[in-house]
Amino acid sequence: MTPEPIWLTIARKEFADALRSRMMWGIVAIIAVMTSLSAGISLLVPGADGGPEMAIGGASQFAGILVPIMALIAAYLAIAGERESGSLKVILGLPPSRGELLFGKFLGRSGVVAIGLTLGFLVSGVATAALYSGLPVSAFAGTTALTVLLGVAFVGIAIGISAVTSTRSRAMTLAITAYLGLTLLWDLAPNAVHLLVTGEMPGQEVPGWFLLLQGFSPTGAYNALVQRQLLGAGTAVEARIGGPAPAYLDPAVFLGILVAWAIVPLAVGYLRFRRADLS
Amino acid sequence: MDRGSRSRSDAEVSAADEPIAIQTTELTKRYGEDVLAVDDVDLTVYEGEIFGFLGPNGAGKSTTIDVIMDYVRPTAGSATVLGFDAQQETRAIHERVGILPDGYGLYDRLSGRKHLEYAISLKRASDDVDDLLDRVGLDKTAAERVVGGYSKGMMQRLALAIALVGDPELLILDEPSSGLDPNGVRLVREIARDHADQGKTVFFSSHILSQVEAVCDRVGILNRGQLVAVDSIDGLRDALGTGSTVTLTVDAVPDSLTLAAIDGVSDVAVDHRTIHVQVDEATAKVNVIDRARSDGAAVLDVTIEESSLEDLFSAYTGDAPRQVDAPEGER
Repeated sequence: MTPEPIWLTIARKEFADALRSRMMWGIVAIIAVMTSLSAGISLLVPGADGGPEMAIGGASQFAGILVPIMALIAAYLAIAGERESGSLKVILGLPPSRGELLFGKFLGRSGVVAIGLTLGFLVSGVATAALYSGLPVSAFAGTTALTVLLGVAFVGIAIGISAVTSTRSRAMTLAITAYLGLTLLWDLAPNAVHLLVTGEMPGQEVPGWFLLLQGFSPTGAYNALVQRQLLGAGTAVEARIGGPAPAYLDPAVFLGILVAWAIVPLAVGYLRFRRADLS
Repeated sequence: MDRGSRSRSDAEVSAADEPIAIQTTELTKRYGEDVLAVDDVDLTVYEGEIFGFLGPNGAGKSTTIDVIMDYVRPTAGSATVLGFDAQQETRAIHERVGILPDGYGLYDRLSGRKHLEYAISLKRASDDVDDLLDRVGLDKTAAERVVGGYSKGMMQRLALAIALVGDPELLILDEPSSGLDPNGVRLVREIARDHADQGKTVFFSSHILSQVEAVCDRVGILNRGQLVAVDSIDGLRDALGTGSTVTLTVDAVPDSLTLAAIDGVSDVAVDHRTIHVQVDEATAKVNVIDRARSDGAAVLDVTIEESSLEDLFSAYTGDAPRQVDAPEGER
């Protein structure tokens, strides 16, 4: 029997730690409650003609705000915390390489976030089905999968941040900056660019590049993909830009962007961490 | 246990072509522009010896170990461990080395037992956790508790147990006695001796000489990043001339006392029926006794007082004035 790879041993331990600290159950509870509530909100708005798709859309809006925070919290101390406490010296004095440690941490914490989100969404799926007496299963499953991917992307960002910082406080500063920059500030960027290019704020109809720019952040890509998932291919985009959708607005592009957000910060973090002096 | 058989001088060893456990070559580590933590250090530690790595706090001991363990990268020079390059073949080294690092931390929320299980799985070792606990004197009920509630001494014992996982060929202990009570300090020495008795190597850093003196075959003294001496404890005494004082109590001091003519004797003082002889070489001690008797004195008592290692240390590291001549009369 060949022993399991070392990164798997590390991932397992990270996962077990997260279960012990109840971090995962926290994610499940928050996601379940918030997405169920937001799914139910459209029922309370008088005159709103919402089906379960609208409900899932509402839940995903909430998830787009919440998931990045939870994923960042779940992983921003993964390396920096151990570096500050000195346990990193113990682990790296054992056989694991820095790369294996980083990868194992990414995997373990991604697992926690992924399972937490999936369980949370299952609860809200049941709630939605009960409220609307029915659930479009594939759209719901697709949205859940995309939300997991969004969570994993932010775990990658958080691990990357953790790998390039040597103290908890710096890791926290960077994590907050990343959250504000990638979720809140990024929404303003396309508007600002639009204003610069055309001289006016974006109206009902926008140019194609505006949507691409919006979708360049992890949350933006996630929103674009969820909309496509719920409203059907092309229609949402064509309505916004008033014409046929260009190739660069294909869902595959946004999927690529979202995956890149998981991998690139992790890779940058690794390259810096690999050479870092840990003293 | 025979420490003498393991100790040797540098010249003897380099001729013998013994396997090398740790070797640094022109090792230099700079932090930024101003801090030169390790300055051109050439150090060789042989397999099977207990090597004491001495120096005041901040001398660069931990930085040297950090490079050996690949926690930090050298600015210049290189290090090999058990024949493997510290930067290129880190995995091979870490599979064979156990370390108690300086400034380490443990996981507050994990029990002692879980720590050891994790270390065993990461090292692909097959140690029995209870055995390890026994070896470091940590009791089993304590091992079930989370480390967050451990005392400094308990943490130190657990960290030592982690270092012992996988029965490493080389044990690196960076200030292992800090936070330990006298029993713990003795335990560290026993572990080091046990390890060396199995033919394995121990690299032991400390800023306290007495902890190293009792257990090490050879010591290296690091001061301000530079290696200022490498020798056996006896060799260091000889080299510095801060040898020992042999005090003979005799029935009557002979008129024709020729002790001053013996090689290695630097000073002779007579006080009634007591003769104080300052000796720079270890072998001269017996000669002093023999000569006193052949000069016609009946030797009633002999005491030998080694100059303290603190004196030696100070002489090398320049923390205190060099003390060569021991005070007379008051002994």
